[in-house]
Amino acid sequence: MRVLLSILLLSFCQFVLAQSESTAEDSLHKGLSSFISNTSIGGYGNVLYKRNFNQDYSSINLERFVLFLGHKFSKKIYFFSELEVEDALVSGAEEGGEIALEQCYLKFNTNPNNYFVAGLFLPRIGILNENHLPNTFNGNERTQVETLILPSTWRELGIAYYGNLNRIPLTYSIALMNGLDAASFEHGSALREGRFEGRNASANNLALSASLKYNKNNLIAQISSYYGGSVGLAAKQADSLQLDSGFFGTPVLVNEANLQYESNGFSLRLLGSYISIPNALEINRAYASNTPQSAYGVYLEAAYNIFKVLHSGYNQELNFFARYEKLDLNYSIPENGIIDETLNQQHIVIGLNYLPIKNVSIKADIRLQHTGKQNPALIINPSPTLPVYKLDNTFLNLGIGYSF
Amino acid sequence: MQRRQFIKSSCSFCLLSSAGFAIVELSSCANLPVYKTSIIESKVSIPVSLFVSSNLQIIRVKNLEYDIALRKENNDSYSALLMQCTHADNSLNSTGNGFNCNLHGSRFDQQGHVLKGPAAQSLKKYSTQIISDQIIISLK
Repeated sequence: MRVLLSILLLSFCQFVLAQSESTAEDSLHKGLSSFISNTSIGGYGNVLYKRNFNQDYSSINLERFVLFLGHKFSKKIYFFSELEVEDALVSGAEEGGEIALEQCYLKFNTNPNNYFVAGLFLPRIGILNENHLPNTFNGNERTQVETLILPSTWRELGIAYYGNLNRIPLTYSIALMNGLDAASFEHGSALREGRFEGRNASANNLALSASLKYNKNNLIAQISSYYGGSVGLAAKQADSLQLDSGFFGTPVLVNEANLQYESNGFSLRLLGSYISIPNALEINRAYASNTPQSAYGVYLEAAYNIFKVLHSGYNQELNFFARYEKLDLNYSIPENGIIDETLNQQHIVIGLNYLPIKNVSIKADIRLQHTGKQNPALIINPSPTLPVYKLDNTFLNLGIGYSF
Repeated sequence: MQRRQFIKSSCSFCLLSSAGFAIVELSSCANLPVYKTSIIESKVSIPVSLFVSSNLQIIRVKNLEYDIALRKENNDSYSALLMQCTHADNSLNSTGNGFNCNLHGSRFDQQGHVLKGPAAQSLKKYSTQIISDQIIISLK
């Protein structure tokens, strides 16, 4: 009897265990299936071969490998991220390479037309800052203006609100985020090194940006503006450096406007941007960074899809493009600044961009660069092997890019 | 001095924030031309009379994450496109002659075909039929 009871008990336990295992597995599959259907993966990347004719040097580099990961928690709440590896290899104690989060935010939909984001995001300034997938712009390199004047990809921590109207084709955005770091400004790169990019940003100083984008038929017209403090130090520290701190202390103002037009294979892009740093003198006095008082950049690009003529309705694209860029990173300098005419630049880029499918691009272009003269006052301890600076240079760029 | 600076900074912040809220208030205008409705047995019903003055109507369906663009075609039929970008699922805005995604710049024509990537697939299209004076969109 005792043996029979033991067998029955054992059988029952096995049955219960079997049931519970099956249930757990089922729920695991169900959970996994739900997770997969609500999770999206994407990415982009590009490889660039570059020939610098003045330096008589060529390089090839896997510039970017970026993975998107998104997840839908509910119909109203989403997660979105972009993890980027630059230059393929990041190795301990060696220069070069970067692993960085380019975006990482939560998105809250208020309705299909309006949403908030909170986290690390790209404010809507310029064209390439938001839309920088390699198959969506011409040329292997991002434009000089949107690299040096507008420091794309410019991401900061904060909150932003996006929306669009239905009656008028107008899209708007406003963002509140951490400000810049004037202590990190470097000669020749305007605001670029002052970005925090989500890492230990000072929240004593803040920034606001806003944009309006009008999109009617084939035309997009946008204006955007950024105003933010660049000194996040405590008041006592800032006073000791004779700098204004606070939310918008030692401010930086960036204004930008652009036009984009596309029709029947023809496309046009025009962008202008202006940076104003009214307290550049104080920044230079504190950090000796030769920060300019103002800088500007403009470019005009025209492109035509040759396949539009050769094969009307063909899904592939072969875009021939030409671009002219003019920028001056020290358009005006404070009394304690030193002018550097090499930062007064013009670029002409001519090339082809072949897209066998919308997601893949094969690019070839030539960039002609012209700058002003070097200022001897800026050359400290010149190397005897330093080649003579040439005002003109030519670059040959070949590359591939993708996004999915 | 510090207090004065703090007040000055706070006032600047408040002014800029007010400008921001003014922009946010624009969103209230966004609802004006949108026709709101609900799903009944996987179908949505829209009165034909909405198309007297315009060939395009944005339909906002309760519990549907994206709007539907309902267009009256030349042959008096109606096409219904889900305004969801096929690249990264962002909602689209109507440009008059198509749709645009602000997130990565994809463009679609009025029929939902891709004009410009990175999106590679056409927009999701729903079948429609006219029953008496109602346009019925089947969401299945």
